[in-house]
Amino acid sequence: MVSTQLSILTISGSILIIATFSVVARRGFIDWLNAYRHQSIVLAGVTAIIGYITGIWEIYIAAALTLIVKSIIIPKVLTYVTRRLEIEFKTETNPYVSLRTSVIISALLVGLSYFLTQQIPFKSDPVVNVLLPVSMAQFFIGLFVLVNRRTVLSQVVGLLIIENGLFLFTMVLTHGVSLIIEIGIFVDILVGIVISSILLFRMGRTFDSLDVTNIENLRDD
Amino acid sequence: MDSVFSNLTILLLFLTPVASTGLVTLFRKKRIIGVITICSALLILVQVFVIVSRIISEKTITAFGNMFYIDSLSTIILLSISIVGFVSALYSKNYMGRQYDHGTVDDKHLVRYYQGFNVFLLTMLVIPTANSMGIMWVALEATTLVSVLLIMLYYKENAIEAAWKYLIIATVGLSFALIGTVFFYYANINAGSADDAMNWTSMVHNSKLFNPNLIKIAFIFILVGYGTKAGLAPMHTWLPDAHSEAPTPVSAVLSGVLLNCAFYVIIRFHIISSNAIGPEFSNQLLIIFAVISVGIAAASLYFQKDMKRMLAFSSVEHMGLISLGIGFGGLLGVYGALLQIINHAIAKPLMFFASGTISQKYETKAMSKIKGIIKIMPVTGVLFLIGGLALVGMPPFNIFLSEFFILSSGFQSGQFLATSLVILFLIVTFAVFLRHLIKMIFGNPVVPMKKDDMGKLAIIPMMILGALVLILGVFVPQQLQTLVQNASTIINHGGFA
Repeated sequence: MVSTQLSILTISGSILIIATFSVVARRGFIDWLNAYRHQSIVLAGVTAIIGYITGIWEIYIAAALTLIVKSIIIPKVLTYVTRRLEIEFKTETNPYVSLRTSVIISALLVGLSYFLTQQIPFKSDPVVNVLLPVSMAQFFIGLFVLVNRRTVLSQVVGLLIIENGLFLFTMVLTHGVSLIIEIGIFVDILVGIVISSILLFRMGRTFDSLDVTNIENLRDD
Repeated sequence: MDSVFSNLTILLLFLTPVASTGLVTLFRKKRIIGVITICSALLILVQVFVIVSRIISEKTITAFGNMFYIDSLSTIILLSISIVGFVSALYSKNYMGRQYDHGTVDDKHLVRYYQGFNVFLLTMLVIPTANSMGIMWVALEATTLVSVLLIMLYYKENAIEAAWKYLIIATVGLSFALIGTVFFYYANINAGSADDAMNWTSMVHNSKLFNPNLIKIAFIFILVGYGTKAGLAPMHTWLPDAHSEAPTPVSAVLSGVLLNCAFYVIIRFHIISSNAIGPEFSNQLLIIFAVISVGIAAASLYFQKDMKRMLAFSSVEHMGLISLGIGFGGLLGVYGALLQIINHAIAKPLMFFASGTISQKYETKAMSKIKGIIKIMPVTGVLFLIGGLALVGMPPFNIFLSEFFILSSGFQSGQFLATSLVILFLIVTFAVFLRHLIKMIFGNPVVPMKKDDMGKLAIIPMMILGALVLILGVFVPQQLQTLVQNASTIINHGGFA
């Protein structure tokens, strides 16, 4: 592999992590969506580079799908659904762990994912070495965002980050599973986001706020 | 010639629910769409019976190259999907009709409900027939999405909350499962497989060459991921909400079949992992999750106030028992677990249907307000009692048989601690569940009500299931025995009968 390709991959890997961090460090929903959009564009670029390196044409389709679905359609849908919501639903004022601590925890999670990927026996391959820890980090930080935040919207964003990490993970490790499965996964995500948007919309009408602590009628006590 | 026939079998099986969805969308008339769904579910049932008879004689069916692969194990799941699908379609007509009369749903909702129901059946049929583990994942994620849509059919706060929890938790769970699947795929590529590396048959074929450490990590991801969808504790938290807030026929399908579908995928990976690193590792994990599930279910059952939530926790318990049987291994344990899959798929929908009818009559799901069912609804009351006794494992009903097999295989394989713990939990469940049940069935109604069993179409599906519960408790038909035996051989002997 040419060293320029490798350095491009390294730089895009760090951009992906920075975009993930900006979701952790920001409070507003629009900021998260912007970070997610930029992340997805870089992700599409990385996918295209992997396609160029391996020479598998199906990966280019996956890259194009990423660009269209994740950086255009999903942010548009989410902005459209949430445009009527009041501003306090869209900002994370009171996470369980403060933003400052969250950033530190996320940094630790990045370290953890580098450690973990060294434990798992992979064939040494520069693409895997550079990008696999990045994908794991995205996955873990997404999980952390999901459990740490109180507003429903940030749970959606957490899910989106997890999903981006998962996509990168699959792409790096297997160079695209097969086109049918890849498209299936994309359709599932898109439908999932649409359904969660419908749910968000209904919640905005039926509940007083979109704080998850208010949404727990169903409990066993 | 033969392969053309197999292709047609699969194609027809998938086309039936597709066509039915199309017809429902086309007609949009309240009377017709229910009947269309019943017909399509019946057609699916007939086709599955044809597949069963073919599987018994031919052992495997492959179609469209290697894309679809059916063996005895998948046939057991297909059988439970088609039986429960048919009775639920039958029950839907009465139940949704009443909801309509009551004003809970309107015409638009009904069309949406029947479309969703048919698509739900389709996505579930894909899981046991697919050969590729990737397609199984996609189909399972699709079942989540469709069932979320079905749960949020009602515009109630609780339904929205349940749908949200279910969507988030199941999606996160399945993302773990995808990581596990990709690990297995990676192991298969490294073992030298080429184009069909995602196929289960290819994974089983190459499994001896897999890297053991990778497989261990992968199986943990698989068990946590698909375990979330299969309702194994402690990842079960979405389950009681979703199952209690869904429309009752959907609850029956969710509880009776969808959990089995998710567990079926775990079994598939369990076979590969047993081939690659020996069965001990995955067996131990399955047993641990099983004991936790049965324990948590027993504890939660005690505190239940809501009838449908109680049934949902009982599903957690039964998934635990199935996992226990597979974990104990041996011919007896696996045989018991597979029989338990079918038995649970018959008894649980019976209970859900009965509870749906009861809650429509009493207009509440709170158990404290439901008294004297047997006086007001004699037939439903008796069937409710039969289903309840079956669920707690009372002889001579069907679940007793499979639980007996599972537990005795536990002693046989020397897992004394796990077995005795589970027996202890089962005794607690038995006492608690029966207490709830007896309080509801006997006694005098709080408010005097007219004696009424809520229509024939509500009773018939329950009668069918009640009869099956009784029959399977006394004797297991020869064909089913062969099927279950072949499937246990597949699990115990590394993938092929």
